[in-house]
Amino acid sequence: MKHRCLVPIGVLAIPIAIAWLGVPVAGQAPSTAAATKAAPAKASTAKSTATKAYTPPRTPDGQPDIQGFWTNSTYTPLERPNNVTKEFYTPDELEVAIKQAADRETAQTEPGTTADVHYDFTQFGLDRSQSTFAKNLRTSLITNPENGKLPPVTPEGQKRAAERAAARKTQGGQYDAVENMPIGSRCIIMAGAGPPMMNAGYNSNYQIVQGPGYVMILTEMIHDVRVIPVDGRPQPHSNVRQWVGTSRGRWDGNTLIVETTNFNGKNAFRGASENMKVIERFTRVADDVITYQFTVEDDATWARPWTAEMPMQKTEGPIFEFACHESNYGIANILAGARADEKRAAEEAAKKGAK
Amino acid sequence: MRTKLAVVMTAGGLLLAAGPVRAHHAFAAEFDVNKPIKLQGTLTKWEMVNPHSWFHIDVKGPDGKVNSWLVEGGSPNQLIRMGVTKNTVLAGTELTIEAYQSKDGNNKAVGRNFVLADGKRLFLGGSAPGGGGDSNSPAK
Repeated sequence: MKHRCLVPIGVLAIPIAIAWLGVPVAGQAPSTAAATKAAPAKASTAKSTATKAYTPPRTPDGQPDIQGFWTNSTYTPLERPNNVTKEFYTPDELEVAIKQAADRETAQTEPGTTADVHYDFTQFGLDRSQSTFAKNLRTSLITNPENGKLPPVTPEGQKRAAERAAARKTQGGQYDAVENMPIGSRCIIMAGAGPPMMNAGYNSNYQIVQGPGYVMILTEMIHDVRVIPVDGRPQPHSNVRQWVGTSRGRWDGNTLIVETTNFNGKNAFRGASENMKVIERFTRVADDVITYQFTVEDDATWARPWTAEMPMQKTEGPIFEFACHESNYGIANILAGARADEKRAAEEAAKKGAK
Repeated sequence: MRTKLAVVMTAGGLLLAAGPVRAHHAFAAEFDVNKPIKLQGTLTKWEMVNPHSWFHIDVKGPDGKVNSWLVEGGSPNQLIRMGVTKNTVLAGTELTIEAYQSKDGNNKAVGRNFVLADGKRLFLGGSAPGGGGDSNSPAK
């Protein structure tokens, strides 16, 4: 039987709309983004060009309007690949990369291999080519440091990583108990839900709603909600700890700046400490694009702060509720599978012992 | 030629860094790579649920006895965005599913390939919006 590959993230790109943007963001090199949406393929010309300053519409209470459905689905890696030394691809290079990724995605996985034990993403529209995603000429999401790589991990950060690994070992095997399984598999939160909000691999969609004094961000994958006051109130006491931290926002011109602290440390972003501070900047640079930039400050983990940037592309709603835990039969099946493996192993050991 | 090679190499860097799709959970822990199975039967129910949808199918054995199977598929969210509804694939649809059976030996499997009676792959090749078909037409 022939199977289509689902493991590598690739793209089967049928670009129908390209919007090259050259919008300077404070302290940043020019951003470049383009939107693509797959089938049904249509010929299209550039649909937005924001070379001039863009003025976003306003909400009734006067906030710049960033409401709607957005996706940060992307093929651009957080860190720059080792064999790439420049900050931006040319459009031609990017198209080649997309084509290669498309070929990878539609390739076949080998029957009888672990990678093949999976449904086909393409049959469920979960490959990126079948949904809106934001093209990005950047070779890495990280813009600072300039080499596109995370800063070195501090000795304290290394020590914490070792301690976390040791603590996990004392809990037994990953499938010994439900509490040992990854929090994403347990439907608690997606690892990239953030902040910072990284793309989730699939269903990387968000809904932003604004009301007087508040901005709400709904994250589709595993269904998390961030309610961000923008009325000037201070952060709660540092004893208040949440999976997504606690966020406070303010407007600087047309840019929404959100500072988040008070993480509970259980969904550590790239090994960060619970004292990580994330500063996000949302700037609507066109009707269909928000530039999303974030800076991570955590001197207990990285030698210095670092910054990344990606476009969020307007997409279609509504978001179908990702009621994850409700139908997560996989957890019970995995635990049952692990017990079946143990039983088989014990029987084989007993047979050997009897000989 | 040199330019072309350079393009391919830099593009390869992007590709390699793209990494694996983040699966919601480890399917190889749930299903047995050594138990490939081909199920041919009739859909009785499609659960459009998260994190993964489930197809209920009745499979008639050589002895005429009907066995019910539960087959795991993908999250329905993107299909819904593409216009698929619970009426797109109706109970009674004939399906052939290439799958891997659960490790505990129950009638559960992960559907590696969902194929309709006319040979088209479910939701692809005209059986779903985006595949060139009519979004309102049942795949049956």
